[in-house]
Amino acid sequence: MQTDVASGNIDGVGTTLKPFQFRGRFLTALALRLSTAPDARFYEMLADRLEKTPNFFTDAPVIIDLEQSQAEVTPEALSELVADLRRRELAVFGVQGGDEALRAAAAGLGLISVTGGRDAPLRGALPSSEQKRPQRVFQERPPMPEAQPAPAQTPAPAPEPNPAPEPAPVPQRVAPENKIVTMPVRSGQTVIADKGDLTVVGPVSSGAELFAAGNIHVYGRMRGRAFAGIDGDENARIFCQSLDAELLAIAGLYRTSDSLGADVRHKMVQIYLEDERLIVAPFG
Amino acid sequence: MSKVIVVTSGKGGVGKTTSSAAISAGLASRGHRTVVIDFDVGLRNLDMIMGCERRVVFDFINVIQGDAKLNQALIRDRRLDNLYVLPTSQTRDKDALTQEGVEKVLNELREEFDYIICDSPAGIERGAQLAMYYADEAVVVTNPEVSSVRDSDRMLGLLSSKTARAERGEEDQIKSHLLLTRFDPRRSGDGEMMSVEDVLEILAIPLLGVIPESPAVLRASNVGVPVILNEKSRAATAYEEAVARLDGEDLPMKIEGEKVPGLMSRLFGRSA
Repeated sequence: MQTDVASGNIDGVGTTLKPFQFRGRFLTALALRLSTAPDARFYEMLADRLEKTPNFFTDAPVIIDLEQSQAEVTPEALSELVADLRRRELAVFGVQGGDEALRAAAAGLGLISVTGGRDAPLRGALPSSEQKRPQRVFQERPPMPEAQPAPAQTPAPAPEPNPAPEPAPVPQRVAPENKIVTMPVRSGQTVIADKGDLTVVGPVSSGAELFAAGNIHVYGRMRGRAFAGIDGDENARIFCQSLDAELLAIAGLYRTSDSLGADVRHKMVQIYLEDERLIVAPFG
Repeated sequence: MSKVIVVTSGKGGVGKTTSSAAISAGLASRGHRTVVIDFDVGLRNLDMIMGCERRVVFDFINVIQGDAKLNQALIRDRRLDNLYVLPTSQTRDKDALTQEGVEKVLNELREEFDYIICDSPAGIERGAQLAMYYADEAVVVTNPEVSSVRDSDRMLGLLSSKTARAERGEEDQIKSHLLLTRFDPRRSGDGEMMSVEDVLEILAIPLLGVIPESPAVLRASNVGVPVILNEKSRAATAYEEAVARLDGEDLPMKIEGEKVPGLMSRLFGRSA
């Protein structure tokens, strides 16, 4: 979990500036998936494809996906391909898959070996002949704050509401799955909305935890801990009808109740990130 | 239609066993066939509070393990002939309780009794979970101080997730009541203790009663008589009223030292 630059100092002494921070970060990358070793026809089609939307590909971070073709691609062919892509101003930075020889060759070319990540859905606009170059979203989850508790303790299954429009956390085209809880969230309980917003209609007790990929709304006294934007969404916000929280966090930046002034306590507030600072702003 | 009521708190020393004894004696004096079960295996106390410790032959664990019949283990109270105690074992531990065993005993008791009061051990481990698992209603015993309130809140969370009713679905949940014990109106007024209203605001469940801190409670425990059956005291009256409410009577709430106008209506507003 990232440390906090935003927590105020109760003694009134200025916050010391930390020389660095580690932050979880998302990154959308293109994956160039090779079905076979690149040949003359491959380069011809590639050039053709890149010309269609030149701006889209300029300086785009690219990884080369060798999972389907590692038997056929030689280290020489890889070297040639990387040189070609770099000439075309594609920012090749990694390979995925590949045997030991290929990974060694990639390292020699300054490429990192990437594991994990997942494919974004293929866009319908892509012509079928483009199968060799599906778009891919490469992402690494930022560490969850603390170990993710088992969702077994959540109160009775909350009804899943229809997805409402909301800003998607990352450029994935996934419909958000929002969650509404209409019972008090008691001490020791954890409620997780890992793909959307979390709305609690009722009090949240001290010692209870709320997690959401998106925003968190609490209609009732908020005494527990709230973690919004757990996947790194810095636009996520927390809304409380009456703030008395132990801890508030957005995208890993947090403040504890010590640093919340009396001027916001028990007020209706929203909490958001602005310039790496967690702002607690009362309404009205 | 019999009811299983668990008396629970999370925190120890808040008055679960005292309240279990008083509630079961109160229900029995109102004419209901009542049994009170001690779930605190290994720390047998209920029989002492009920004054029947010398008559224990077989216990709850013997019944669960099939070493004795239920009727052999049930002890009839000497003062009220429709009140029974099912004591627990002092030598075993909570692993001797099994879910199937508890269910079987409760089902048998349901055929005989109107009210089955389960005196839960402190904590949130096996004994406490089994005491609440088959409950229809819960009496959450809380002292007006922050750690007790937080533990009660935790218990309410478990009552709404780790019980048979919770696992069956949304309808028909356990009905939880708050019993505030060891309440000292003077210290609450001075701000040394939480007020009734503070506790209700956090726990958000209906208030069954407020039992004042009273030397009569300790005296009753020492002689092995439920508070409600011993000398006339403020605590005894408060328990009687709480029992009446648990039994479905609509009594106005009188809280010493809390003279906030409109408090009554607010308290009852919450219990809807």
